[in-house]
Amino acid sequence: MISSLPPYRLIPPPLAAGFLLFIICIASLLLGAGDVTPADALPVLFGGGSDEARFIVLELRMPRTLVALVVGAALGCAGALMQTLSRNPLAEPGLLGISAGSSFAVAVMLMLGASAATLTVYVSQLGALAGCLIVLSAARIQGVGNDPIRLVLAGATLTGLLLSMTSLLLMFDQRSADEIRFWVTGSVAGRDLDDLYHLLPSLAVAIILMLIVIRPLAALSLGERAAQGLGHKPGRIRLITVLVVALLVGAATAMAGPIIFVGLVVPFIARAIAGPDIRRTLWLCLPIGPIILIVADILSRLLVSPAELPLGVLTAIIGAPVLLLVVRGKRMPAL
Amino acid sequence: MNAELPLSSTLPGSTAPRGYWLLKGRLGSRQLSVLVPRRSVAVNLTLLVLTLAAATASLCMGSMSLSPAEVWTALWGEGPALHKLVVQELRLHRVLAGFATGAAFALSGCLMQTLARNRLATPGIIGIDNAATAFAVASVIGTGIALAPPAMSLVGAATATALAFGLSGDNGSRGYRFIIAGVAIGAISGAITQFMLSRVAIDDANAAFPWTVGSLNARSKEATLLLGAALLPCLLLALRWASSLRLVQVSEAVSIGLGINLKRVRRNGLILSVLLTGLAVAVAGPVGLVALIGPELARTLCRHRGVPLLASTLCGALLMLLADLTGRMMLAPLEIPVGIVTAVVGSPYLLWMLLNPSFRSQP
Repeated sequence: MISSLPPYRLIPPPLAAGFLLFIICIASLLLGAGDVTPADALPVLFGGGSDEARFIVLELRMPRTLVALVVGAALGCAGALMQTLSRNPLAEPGLLGISAGSSFAVAVMLMLGASAATLTVYVSQLGALAGCLIVLSAARIQGVGNDPIRLVLAGATLTGLLLSMTSLLLMFDQRSADEIRFWVTGSVAGRDLDDLYHLLPSLAVAIILMLIVIRPLAALSLGERAAQGLGHKPGRIRLITVLVVALLVGAATAMAGPIIFVGLVVPFIARAIAGPDIRRTLWLCLPIGPIILIVADILSRLLVSPAELPLGVLTAIIGAPVLLLVVRGKRMPAL
Repeated sequence: MNAELPLSSTLPGSTAPRGYWLLKGRLGSRQLSVLVPRRSVAVNLTLLVLTLAAATASLCMGSMSLSPAEVWTALWGEGPALHKLVVQELRLHRVLAGFATGAAFALSGCLMQTLARNRLATPGIIGIDNAATAFAVASVIGTGIALAPPAMSLVGAATATALAFGLSGDNGSRGYRFIIAGVAIGAISGAITQFMLSRVAIDDANAAFPWTVGSLNARSKEATLLLGAALLPCLLLALRWASSLRLVQVSEAVSIGLGINLKRVRRNGLILSVLLTGLAVAVAGPVGLVALIGPELARTLCRHRGVPLLASTLCGALLMLLADLTGRMMLAPLEIPVGIVTAVVGSPYLLWMLLNPSFRSQP
């Protein structure tokens, strides 16, 4: 039946997305503000190039590309898992107050005098877990989980509450306020690669858990009864999924600050390509998340060069229209 | 107070139902009769007294405590020079600004909730506050647009409202699409504000910070005067339309059937609401939750099915004054911006409201 497919369908989507991601990573290394033109930067990739170009490409652009790669993949997957779990196409870590939860936790830690990046990751993941549990359990207890928009409004309210409490904390402490003010807008610039290494253990755990939970989760998306009939335990699946989401979002937030809307846009695109089955969309989210985030990062460098737009601003500007698109649909696509 | 025409026109000479006073009078050749709910009168009077008490407390308390008597003499320009400076120059302006912004936010919220027939359709939730703030910040840090902050914040409020209506393609009375559109607009505006602040020098950004979370600290005299001048006419106009608004709230079909020009009522109410929000944001920044909680409180207190415009206004002013007083006194000498106080107190209420299974979106 291959002959009946249009030519572009011959390549499996994950492969195509992976290829696109590769090109975009190269572009991210080559493009940017400053005196180094793409032509200067190209030899660096093959081990040559001037000292200046080597410094800019390897020390400045490489780390932020890697950070965006990891953060984008984490946020994209977290969004897809969250949407499948709550069966709500608007569920997004940033909108549901999960990122705000980890920001708040990090602000508390900074207040108490911690500055080590190692600690930040775990604290941020704990905050994400707390935010996740609050929103989901509130929605489940009260039975409003079925009303997608009410859940989002509740999440937005929780975000507002946590952000105000974060600002309240920052008022006490000018030092941490300056430290956190740029972090709060979300950015992948100027992050240390060492910080990235601290994320790896928890990300590995998250990936293993994800592999375990993905099939049961696909069953759960058919409904609680169906999942039970297939021999899964819905409560346990939920718990593990929430844990994975918290690990991913917490790690991403600790690294790059709260970046909203990526978790909304990425699964939206992945679903449009691969259909509603989480087993397919999740693997597609893995390349699409970084693609979106790295493109946004390149734009943030180029649009107002030599200055830089905060990444969170760009993702909000990309993401809010998608939010409208989802809501404007004749019927909310049920998951 | 809160005089509203009854739904069915009472026949002359009929007696008032329980809990109402029937006021009859003559205006030229027209015979007028108005039903006044007794409870509303009592509630409004109590709120007025409480608001005055809160204002007095705000005038008295601070880093320099004054007795009410000292405040009173200082208000009339007598007493020690220091007292005069503290009361007249510092605290009076702040109290008036708090009163006016609270009243404006709550009235605007009440109007919008009624017109959209949705309790959640308040300026804070649908992003009007954030958009007005973004525009006003643009004006403050001077991005080439030479309009004063109040004017810019009005432009922002109007733009956001137009976008919310245009993008959602409905007026909020059918489902939540309107509100989600507003959430998206609010998110974009918030991002733009953050962006502008991250581009200016750190001192400017620190100066603008309290204002972006909502505070009475950064108020300018012109903006307050403008808001004060607009508040009373807006309130009077809104009260004049109270009966039509009440019908619109009950049912669109009924109000058309009774000969109400629905489009005009909607347009006028919306203009008032946007005007009040824009001007209030120019004074105090986004303190949007007052616009939600003021009318809610007023509705709970008045218990009748009308549109408690006056009670909402007073509730908003009272809440704002109390929140500001709390923010000033709680951690003195440090001052908590009033926007943070209202968010910490108001958000749990909104969460409770949203997660309540018996929640009805219609006011």
